[in-house]
Amino acid sequence: MSKEREIEIITRNLGVTFKDDQDKDVVALTNVNLEICKGEFIALLGPSGCGKTTLLRCMADLQKPTEGDVHIQGMTPKEVRLQQKFGFVFQQPVLFDWRTVKKNIELPMEIMGRSKGERSDRADEMLEMVGLKEFANHYPKQLSGGMQQRANIARAFGLDPDILFMDEPFSALDEFTKEKLHEDLLRIWRATNKTILFVTHNIQEGVFLSDRICVLSPHPGRLSAIVDIDIERPRSLEVKDSVHFTELVAKVRNSFEGGSIA
Amino acid sequence: MIRKLDKITNKKWFSSLLWVLLLVIAWEVGAYVVAGAKRTPENILPHLWQIIGAAATGKKVAGGMTALQAVFDSARATLFRALLGFFFGAVSGFAFALLMKLSGVVEKLLFPYLMLIQLIPVLGIAPIILAITGDINVSRVVIAAILSFYPVATNTLAGFKAVEKEKYDLMHICAAKTRMIYTKVLIPSAIPYFFTGLKIAAPMAVTASILVDTLQGDGGLGCLLSQSLKHAMSIYVFWLIVFFSAFIGIIVSKVIGWIEYSVSPWRRC
Amino acid sequence: MEKEIRLQKIGRRKSLRQRAKESKKWQKITTVVYPLIFGAVLVGLWQGQILHRWFHTDTFTLPLLNKIGEIMRDNMDKILENTGATVSVAVIGLVIGSLLGYLVAVLAALFPKIGMGGPAVLGAFASVPVVAIAPVLNNWTKDLSDEASIRSMISKIIVVTLICAADMGLNAYRGLTEIKPFSEDLMAIYAAPKRTTLWKLRLPNSLPYVFTALKVSVPASIMTAIVSEYFAEYITGVGRQIRENIVLAQYATAWAYIATACLIGIAAYVILMAFQSILLRRYS
Repeated sequence: MSKEREIEIITRNLGVTFKDDQDKDVVALTNVNLEICKGEFIALLGPSGCGKTTLLRCMADLQKPTEGDVHIQGMTPKEVRLQQKFGFVFQQPVLFDWRTVKKNIELPMEIMGRSKGERSDRADEMLEMVGLKEFANHYPKQLSGGMQQRANIARAFGLDPDILFMDEPFSALDEFTKEKLHEDLLRIWRATNKTILFVTHNIQEGVFLSDRICVLSPHPGRLSAIVDIDIERPRSLEVKDSVHFTELVAKVRNSFEGGSIA
Repeated sequence: MIRKLDKITNKKWFSSLLWVLLLVIAWEVGAYVVAGAKRTPENILPHLWQIIGAAATGKKVAGGMTALQAVFDSARATLFRALLGFFFGAVSGFAFALLMKLSGVVEKLLFPYLMLIQLIPVLGIAPIILAITGDINVSRVVIAAILSFYPVATNTLAGFKAVEKEKYDLMHICAAKTRMIYTKVLIPSAIPYFFTGLKIAAPMAVTASILVDTLQGDGGLGCLLSQSLKHAMSIYVFWLIVFFSAFIGIIVSKVIGWIEYSVSPWRRC
Repeated sequence: MEKEIRLQKIGRRKSLRQRAKESKKWQKITTVVYPLIFGAVLVGLWQGQILHRWFHTDTFTLPLLNKIGEIMRDNMDKILENTGATVSVAVIGLVIGSLLGYLVAVLAALFPKIGMGGPAVLGAFASVPVVAIAPVLNNWTKDLSDEASIRSMISKIIVVTLICAADMGLNAYRGLTEIKPFSEDLMAIYAAPKRTTLWKLRLPNSLPYVFTALKVSVPASIMTAIVSEYFAEYITGVGRQIRENIVLAQYATAWAYIATACLIGIAAYVILMAFQSILLRRYS
């Protein structure tokens, strides 16, 4: 990545230790040092139990680290969150049954106290962007899983957040829908220039989407490698057939098997 | 033709109709047997058409009123109180559930007692409530309220607790104030549970009011029921009340279901 | 860049109160202690006659707790006798009614075309007030026996039976038919006959639903037994004693029976919970 870009997120010696039922310490994450630039697309990749979601939640102030700290835009995550600069997309589309798709997208804006007209305009814009314009007045239960996840993404973008956290957002979807949403996400990201932190356990997905992949290993959860993905942008699905893509996938995979750098 | 018939017999309402028909036949067969064996069959199992006939007749049975008029007249007193108690019970049940959700201390203080009140046969203590309040109308309302209170409170609380963790996370990310979380997430989520509570509570409130009527001869369906049983008036009044109260019990749960349906448009699809 | 970052202390100190709030032990203690405090306050209000002032009543209508306790002790024989009458009605009705309701549910599940509507009709029965059924059954059972005590008991049992049957039928039908998506297909793949599907799949699946039904019908059976005693010909049972004693203005004795009714309700629920934890251990 270009060196002169502004650093937005820094983690220092970040660690999280849980207490289990028998009051024993379980190290979920230890000694994570990471610098993320503004506008960067970062993938957090690893098998289950490697602490990638924990790392994401620490940065989003959904969880307090037990060691070390996180700084975002020179502030604590809590301060940034209270300024409502975060967006979060969960694995399951967390939509509200009693609100239409459009009203769901408006919800965070309602909480921020934006005016009705502004909310409506912005929601329309977002619906257009994710291709759900015709479904604005449908209820979530009427949509397919893929469409629900689109609505979910639209809601996260609706607030115009500086940083978007995505926790395995596409893992419950079928391959065709997933590829379509990958392309959509890259298009939206390019248009809005957000910083995105994307948790995944799928190597291809991580390579296709991100600028850099942070590889995490389990027991204890730690950052074991950072792989630069120097595929040119904009990327289309054909990229996946290139030799370079395959090489990068292999490189990421080897960074697991080759042990850790920590 | 056969296919069309098959289609009809596959419908749920057809099966329900069959059951109702079966019950009617069973009743009528029973009534014929009773009519042949007993000297006063109308006390035990009159024919359905006799009951309907009693409802339709213009003969005055009590205080210058026909049987149906008498039933409706007492029903007004009873059901109004039941409704009032039901309303108070439902509102306070919801408020309590909200309070328990808002404060962990309040929840810990009261939750075991909320469970306990469910196990206490409240209808059994109706007479003592009458003794304490000293007024039949007040005690009707109070008992209906107590009986409506706990199904609403427990179900609403369960609704608050059923909200997924992700929804709280989402609200946290949006830096939502507590008030926002309640108005935008928790209360709407609990609404279906609240209605479940209402559906359980409504027939209980009606039963309670009728029962309290029988404790003191002061008007109301229950009072009329006792009088009719003691042959102070036509026994058919008794049968009318039996059918009427059953009908009311069924109707109120339907009405609540319908209200729920109309306030929740997302359920229609 | 470095200067902009305000360094925070690692391992922030928490106040004692905050720490206590987060500890699991403290949570467990408060779950027990808080209700006890509330109960103690309630007892205090009652014994201190403050409740009486609030409700504008006197110690004659709302006797003090020690007085109620005394009466319970003095009348133990009579109370136990009446408890026996009420409990036997409730238990017999509960058992017959639950079995009957379950049987209806099994039949409805086996013959879906005819059975579908059955639970709906049963559900309608569940919303019929007890007060409407109890007097009818009094009339029906008149000729069953020359003994008033026996025919009264039978009529009360039938009322409880009907209420419990409706409740069990509804829930059991759900348990027998709401089966995990692919398990029915799995049975079909193995060409399992209807009987096997019933035994291996439907019946075990319905067990948790049976307990859902019982959680409602156990307290309901006691309540129904008590209420139908009001209408019964023969004077016996806890419910009837409450009413008779109030008619005679013996409020303290009535309260002793109210306390008994509450104890029966609680005891029945505790027994049910114990059964559930033993039988449903495999399910969770």
